[in-house]
Amino acid sequence: MGPRGLSRILAVAANTFRETIRERVLYNLLFFALVMTVCGLLLGQISIRQDEKIIKDIALAAMDLFGTAIAVFVGVGLVSKEIERRSLYPLMAKPVTRDEFLLGKFAGLSFTLLVNVMVMAAGLYLTLLLTGRPLDLRLLAAVFPIFLSLVLTVAVVLLFSILFTSTALAAFASLILVVAGRFSDVIRNMKEVAPGAPAWLIQGLYYALPNYRNFDFKDRVVYGDPVSTGDLGWVTVYAAVYVALVLGIALAAFRRREFV
Amino acid sequence: MRLIPYLALLLLPVLPLVQQRIDGRLGSFRVQHEALYLWSGEHVRRLTPGFENLMADIYWLRTVQYFGGQRAFSTDKRFDLLGPLVNITTALDPRLVIAYRYGATFLAEPWPMGAGKPEEAVALLRRGVAQNPRDWRLRQDLGMFYFFFLSDGAHASEALMEGARVPGAPPFLKALAAQVLVKGGERQSAKMLWQQIYEQSEPGQLKDNAGLHLAQLQSLDAIDALNEAAMEFARRAGRPPASLEELRRSGLTAAPVVDAVGTPFEYNASTGKASLSPRSPIWRRELAKYGP
Repeated sequence: MGPRGLSRILAVAANTFRETIRERVLYNLLFFALVMTVCGLLLGQISIRQDEKIIKDIALAAMDLFGTAIAVFVGVGLVSKEIERRSLYPLMAKPVTRDEFLLGKFAGLSFTLLVNVMVMAAGLYLTLLLTGRPLDLRLLAAVFPIFLSLVLTVAVVLLFSILFTSTALAAFASLILVVAGRFSDVIRNMKEVAPGAPAWLIQGLYYALPNYRNFDFKDRVVYGDPVSTGDLGWVTVYAAVYVALVLGIALAAFRRREFV
Repeated sequence: MRLIPYLALLLLPVLPLVQQRIDGRLGSFRVQHEALYLWSGEHVRRLTPGFENLMADIYWLRTVQYFGGQRAFSTDKRFDLLGPLVNITTALDPRLVIAYRYGATFLAEPWPMGAGKPEEAVALLRRGVAQNPRDWRLRQDLGMFYFFFLSDGAHASEALMEGARVPGAPPFLKALAAQVLVKGGERQSAKMLWQQIYEQSEPGQLKDNAGLHLAQLQSLDAIDALNEAAMEFARRAGRPPASLEELRRSGLTAAPVVDAVGTPFEYNASTGKASLSPRSPIWRRELAKYGP
């Protein structure tokens, strides 16, 4: 893929970004702003001085939760909508390959999520500032892995949206996988609750499913525990490898997909 | 027919009137009948992977609201859900130290100020200590709760000594441990311990609670002084003083005749004994253990 290919991917990505921002992301940010304002105003009164911790917990959980919701529910429509509206066909007639189209969609939604997470992080810092709390930059050590997990979710959702013709089914399968990935520690210790389960199956499941627990640094960061660059580096490598793998399968499936 | 929507709007001012009537009948603050659908922190943890801390915050807010609601607004003041709520909170976030400290206070304080379950409070603090071994405050609280609520000087001293060994712990913990062991159950030791809590606590319920206990103990000191003076009066006059006012006028004591919050002491002229008035906001049945 040359510079022209890259510029075509970026064009699709920019278009996807504009489209997704216009759609639902603004409502999410508005709701987040409201939640943070209410937290900042009320929590000090009703939590016995735990407001700082709770503000951080809520903000980080909201980034994770809302980001996942956007990744899944916007992500499943990225390709299928183009097919339903038949806007994909003229696009395919242009010199844009299917690979470039899919990678552009992936990059566009990932960028939307990056903006979403960054605005939410800014909202968190603003709330901390307005409530007279220190601006703890170490929080970013939890924000970055959240973003990585969202990128991974986008890749998974794109794959399912290509594999399944039904949007609802793709969304359902994506959610199942995301939830299962959050239970990876349970899967790893499954032998304790199901001694009869074959070890190879447990191991296979544990390594095959996306391990979303890897990206959860919220607890450590809120309590001020150190997060090493090594930890973040390995998590980044994990996300990169998994995303590349999933996108590779998605590209292969998309090349074979017939549009009727 | 076209006017009906406008006529319906005229009903708007009726709403506050109806609400006022309902509030008048049921009270403006009505305690919600709380229900817990999940009784195990482990179950809640399993249902919310990645969001355990957020759930802990939600359960902590529920705990505070439940306790405050029962204590302030409930007529029968039941604290049945307090223990499970605190347990779920701490299971979800074992490092939420405030939940152990305040939860134990809520649990241990005698009914109706708290749940009156000091054993549960001590068990909670023991779990807190196990989960947060580097937190000397939890060990200090554990020692104090053993001392105040279970009258167990040996365990209190042990917990305080362990607290003193935690890096960063203040040196006075060692002295407290020794005092508690020597004077187990005495009012002086109690005063010393509450004074430490009062001085260390930030403004809030823990400080207020320590202040209340200090006020109680100061009042008991004043009562002791009055009773001693009344005995001296009786020895000299051949009869007990007719009132605390007469005792004051005799010049035998300068002790106050009101408690630390300004409520006059009760006085029995036939026995010559003063006591804390049950009408006083600082009166508690449990104070009997410190005498008189």
